[in-house]
Amino acid sequence: MENQEQQTSAANVLTQAIATKLDYLSTLQAAVQRGDDRQVYELLDRARYYQEIKQTRAKRSVNHLEELVDNIHPQISHYLSDRLIDYLGHIYPFFYYEEYTTGRFHIYFGNWWDRRLFGELDVVNVQFNFDQTEFDKLRRSFELEAHHQRLNTAKIEAISSESEKLQKLMDAQPVRDNEKTKLREQLKENSQKSGMPWESGKIKDERQGIIDQLTKLADEDEQALNAHKTIKANDDQILVLSKEDTILNYEKQSIREAFDDFEHFQARNQSLYADYLNSLVGKSSSEGGVNVDD
Amino acid sequence: MINENDPSTLTTSGRLLNYNAAIKAGLETGITFTKLMDQLIKTTNPDELVAAATELADFKLDSDFVTFPHQYSNADYYLLFMSRMLELHDQGNQVMVQSRDQHEELIQQLTPLGDRGTFNFRVETSENGGVFYRERATGQSLFYLNLDRKMFRFNSHALTQLFIIDLHETVPVETVKTSVQILIDFARYLKEDYGYSVDFNILDAANSENYPVHSADLPAGVVDRLFVAAAKNDYMLTNGVNGNGARIALDKGVVVDIFNNQLEGQPEWVLTVHDDDQKTSWFDVLLNYPFIRDWYLENLTDLEIVSDPLIFG
Repeated sequence: MENQEQQTSAANVLTQAIATKLDYLSTLQAAVQRGDDRQVYELLDRARYYQEIKQTRAKRSVNHLEELVDNIHPQISHYLSDRLIDYLGHIYPFFYYEEYTTGRFHIYFGNWWDRRLFGELDVVNVQFNFDQTEFDKLRRSFELEAHHQRLNTAKIEAISSESEKLQKLMDAQPVRDNEKTKLREQLKENSQKSGMPWESGKIKDERQGIIDQLTKLADEDEQALNAHKTIKANDDQILVLSKEDTILNYEKQSIREAFDDFEHFQARNQSLYADYLNSLVGKSSSEGGVNVDD
Repeated sequence: MINENDPSTLTTSGRLLNYNAAIKAGLETGITFTKLMDQLIKTTNPDELVAAATELADFKLDSDFVTFPHQYSNADYYLLFMSRMLELHDQGNQVMVQSRDQHEELIQQLTPLGDRGTFNFRVETSENGGVFYRERATGQSLFYLNLDRKMFRFNSHALTQLFIIDLHETVPVETVKTSVQILIDFARYLKEDYGYSVDFNILDAANSENYPVHSADLPAGVVDRLFVAAAKNDYMLTNGVNGNGARIALDKGVVVDIFNNQLEGQPEWVLTVHDDDQKTSWFDVLLNYPFIRDWYLENLTDLEIVSDPLIFG
């Protein structure tokens, strides 16, 4: 008897637990059917929702209901992306998204030639996961702007001046050839000198000096010989750097047009979840949703 | 020279008759020639004009028995033909044909260009036939014309060398445009009135024209250079619409695309120029935008627009 009661009680508890899950899922289903994205977000992360939207202490979710839908996040993300990307389009007009696989989105910065892949859009958590390297480049180029510099200004200058040096080295070939002829004659004279024994050290030193100069000139000749190739390679490198500077400049312009400066841009990224969900309040069952009664 | 098998050579009178017949034939050829010349110079009927030019193009005036010491070359008839064709379209004053004092030879100037260029035709000696229209000082052959085959082909290389490079410093853009327009009009009359097959090449203003670049597999750096140059001139090179190339919107609705025209297999990079009125060609873009001109010339080995390889190969 007691055993049976226990059994009934256990069944009740389980039924209740299942009912809670069913309730969670059917509420979520209804929200999707109504097109109530706000509620979908609420259901996906209640803790965050209460903290950031309701501004109340988060109710600790003990029953981990959110985990029920973990493995359909791609579909949820795919569903939620429509309205989110529409919203983002107004605030970040320079970002372009590509759903490279269901529910996952690459962010491209801009529509210019060879625009950068800038990270991923996390639709479920309403946040940008920027590529750290690319993002740092952008931040750095904002910092450098105060000094009227671009990210690659210094590098380009260094490479240009190397090319210039090499060009001079090439141009100076006739001068070097002259020099070498003279030095070789001096060397010949030197070897014919048969001075007094106490002069032999001096003659030897002189000879070494001439040889050193000739060696230096030969080194320069060799450099000049490869200079053409190096200059060409430098040009290619400068092109890559100028291109990057051009892209960064377009990015900076875009951010300034939309946010005035980099700080506002970042602040906006931080508050994106709250901003977006607040914008959804009172917009449930809007045109995008499928009505269950239909 | 007595040939036992040919009765006419056996008797004196036979021989004289033979001689006489050859002279007559030679003179007849001369008469035909003068008629054709009359026709070429005087007719107001475009069909007769083309007919006369076509015949004169490979007319042999001399025969074994009758030769004419004073002759223009066949190439000169083409110059007459060209100026007459323009004249019949009320554009006769746009070219000036001059006869040289010392001998029978014609040269031509385009009126707007004046003495900055003198032109004539050069007969193609290979069995292809036809003639090249050539600037005499630089030797640049601007187009090829073949009346028999009804073919007309502009040459992108020569047009670029002469008008975009050689005359760039000294001749104003507008002058170049009006001068080249004369050549375009001449080709257009042949195309529209006589169904010639015409390749306008870089002068083609039709939006549908794809200008193939020399390096069909264009190195990426070439487009990168345009991107950087455009930004410096306040234009933006954007991703192409179809995602396999680049686009630049210039002024007054002119849009230039550079893209790979083959989605699969061997790449084939081409340029296109779009504008609502279809009045702008790649040549015009080169004249109007110095930074694009610089870019094109600096990368000419990759970018030069391909001309008919059978003619200009």
